[in-house]
Amino acid sequence: MSFKRKYIHTAVAATLLGTGVLAFSGNALANDSSELEALRALVQELDQKIRVLDRKSELAEEKAEAEKKAAPKVVAGDKGFGIESADGQFKFRLSGLLHADHRWAIDDDELQSNDGYLLRRVRPTFSGTLFGKYDFRFTPDFAPNAANVQDAFINARFQPWLAVQAGKFKTPVSLERLQSGSDLRFTERAYVANSLTPNRDIGVQIHGNLLDDKLSYAFGNFNGVQDGGSSSNSDNNVDREWAARVFAHPFKGQDNLLSGLGIGLAGTTSDYTGALLSHNYRSPGQNSIFTYAGGVNGDGRQNRITPQFYYYAGPFGLIGEYARVTHDVSRGTRSDKLSHDAWQLAGTYVLTGEDNSFKSITPKNNFDLSKGTWGAWEIGLRYSELNIDDKAFEGTAGTRYASAAASTEKAQSWAASLNWYLNKHVKLQTTYEHTNFDSAFANVDDREDEKIFFTRFQVAY
Amino acid sequence: MKNTFSRLLLAGAFALAAPLSVSAADVTLLNVSYDPTRELYADFNKAFTAHWKAKTGNNATVKQSHGGAGKQARAVIDGLQADVVTLALAYDIDEIHAKAKLIPKDWQTRLPNNSAPYTSTIVLLVRKGNPKNIKDWDDLAKPGITVITPNPKTSGGARWNYLAAWGYELKRNGGDQQKAKEFVKKIYANVPVLDSGARGSTITFVERGIGDVFISWENEAFLALKELGPDKFEIVVPSVSILAEPPVTIVDKVVDKRKTREVAQAYLEYLYSDEGQEIAAKHYYRPTNPKFIEKYAHQFPKVNLFNIDEVFGGWQKAQKEHFADGGTFDQIYSKR
Repeated sequence: MSFKRKYIHTAVAATLLGTGVLAFSGNALANDSSELEALRALVQELDQKIRVLDRKSELAEEKAEAEKKAAPKVVAGDKGFGIESADGQFKFRLSGLLHADHRWAIDDDELQSNDGYLLRRVRPTFSGTLFGKYDFRFTPDFAPNAANVQDAFINARFQPWLAVQAGKFKTPVSLERLQSGSDLRFTERAYVANSLTPNRDIGVQIHGNLLDDKLSYAFGNFNGVQDGGSSSNSDNNVDREWAARVFAHPFKGQDNLLSGLGIGLAGTTSDYTGALLSHNYRSPGQNSIFTYAGGVNGDGRQNRITPQFYYYAGPFGLIGEYARVTHDVSRGTRSDKLSHDAWQLAGTYVLTGEDNSFKSITPKNNFDLSKGTWGAWEIGLRYSELNIDDKAFEGTAGTRYASAAASTEKAQSWAASLNWYLNKHVKLQTTYEHTNFDSAFANVDDREDEKIFFTRFQVAY
Repeated sequence: MKNTFSRLLLAGAFALAAPLSVSAADVTLLNVSYDPTRELYADFNKAFTAHWKAKTGNNATVKQSHGGAGKQARAVIDGLQADVVTLALAYDIDEIHAKAKLIPKDWQTRLPNNSAPYTSTIVLLVRKGNPKNIKDWDDLAKPGITVITPNPKTSGGARWNYLAAWGYELKRNGGDQQKAKEFVKKIYANVPVLDSGARGSTITFVERGIGDVFISWENEAFLALKELGPDKFEIVVPSVSILAEPPVTIVDKVVDKRKTREVAQAYLEYLYSDEGQEIAAKHYYRPTNPKFIEKYAHQFPKVNLFNIDEVFGGWQKAQKEHFADGGTFDQIYSKR
């Protein structure tokens, strides 16, 4: 606007000077009609020029606005970094999870556990969406050992109640396994997730949400993996494994104490034939408690069933699940059906009052010394137990199903945790877990108690 | 047996997913149109949805997109899911076939009158009293005359304007292309602002008060008179002008994917119905049904019309010679 006024003033003044209207003369007044007409024409011409300039400016703004709407958006925020098309139909995101841990095995006379620092998870995730409904995700893990592919799948969302997912991803069984690694309340998952139920597998599943998201289901077919295991790119089972899960929030959306309750049931079934050597039940310190002897084979059905629940109300949270796995096994001429089970019950409480949930805690105030704010703090307590079928230990060393090194038939773990959420993305986690073991043999001492103090520094974005 | 059952069950899950995203009875169409047809399709869509409801009991909703015809065609080529396109000229729809194969090559034969349910022409809109005494195309080339017309690179109407002026000069000078080029060059030297579409140029001339003469779609000119009053503008009918045939078509790949072919086809066919022709005429588009040509003869000025085939050899040739990169428009017009 100031440019327009300046233009008018300059143009008019110059014109008046040029025509001598301002000349000091007794005839300065515009009585002459021809001069008046000339002035009128000039003003009209100037008026048109100003209108043209205004219109060009308007069109340039419209064009810039249209280009801005059509331009892809670069995103950098609490969901990671990425780029997406203007219409949101195409997205690409880079996110990640880093777990830098320390383990201290207390009173570890038998040197069962590995002390020290380790990188537990180093997982960049490349994810995105194509055409608004085809999601993809690729997550390699560069820790704790050799690099491997954690997740690699495509999910086609046809309807809220029907999506099809294919690739390598978490088998829909254990509730704690389905909880993201960045959302765990204890440094290591309990026996149900870590030992008895599948971790990740390659397959295809249909899944969705029904009844206003009060009921979710997943039903899939996978290669089949050992208890607690993840699938490599080959199949060590002859038949496929079916997995199914339903999980309900019956009181969701209601204004009562039970609105935060979720309950579900999951299971797997397959014909499992082949060596069971890769089945490895581990302690919280990730030490092997039970393995099968060489020569023990799956010889029929392998079934799992896992009832599960969680409950959240304000800062309080409770999660529990039970798993029972039944294997038809054989060794030489001997065959049996073995059933192992595990369960856990864990409660957490957010001391700083934030709402608890299955997902991570978001502090009301981030940790900031200059402002005197301390993020969010949470405490947790968990009991978990693993029971191996007695029949696994029957017979001699040459006939029993348990390996020669395996003598523990029961493990019981108590864990206490203190979690400090500095902000939405950074967490400092400490867990003390005490595990005692019962020997399956009268003449074999119980395995030394495992007492481990875990510390984890987490960055997740 | 078990493996076969498993595979069949999996195949069934995939098959189930395919048609589930589309609703059976209620349908939404997207009509991608050129710039000045907003009012026409606002009225026509109401009429069609009422007709479709009465005929089938189902609901049809029509969403509109408007803009310069060239830009609109490119948007469809680039993936805009148009069920139907109702554009300013056949070339832009030909490009939808050539660049994206979304429609068959013979799309124009599928509906009557070369798929043009209505026609129009190009006239000159001037200020009331015609202060600059504009009588014909040659007045637009005179120094001191400000001409408003959109950009032929983006606007279908602008291309009709350009060819109308070129055709006038060819007829005047006996077919000398170079003289026609010089003539059109002089006209465009008088153009201070190039809007991207015909509606933008209408705004420039009518609302922003820029220019002495607006080379306009006939319907836009009548709309300006009707909306703003005959005391503000006048229509000058040139001695000769071009017959503009804005065509329509369904976009086959889109309607087959979205399962909207039946409704989309009915929508376009309804443009040729009595009600469709009445609505077109009401919005100052020349109907093609002889019954309505006669009924509305009084409404439209008599103009000596030539068509693009007889003067320019068709749209493919005209586009290549005049509006493609390096064509005559690029040669005569430089940005200011």
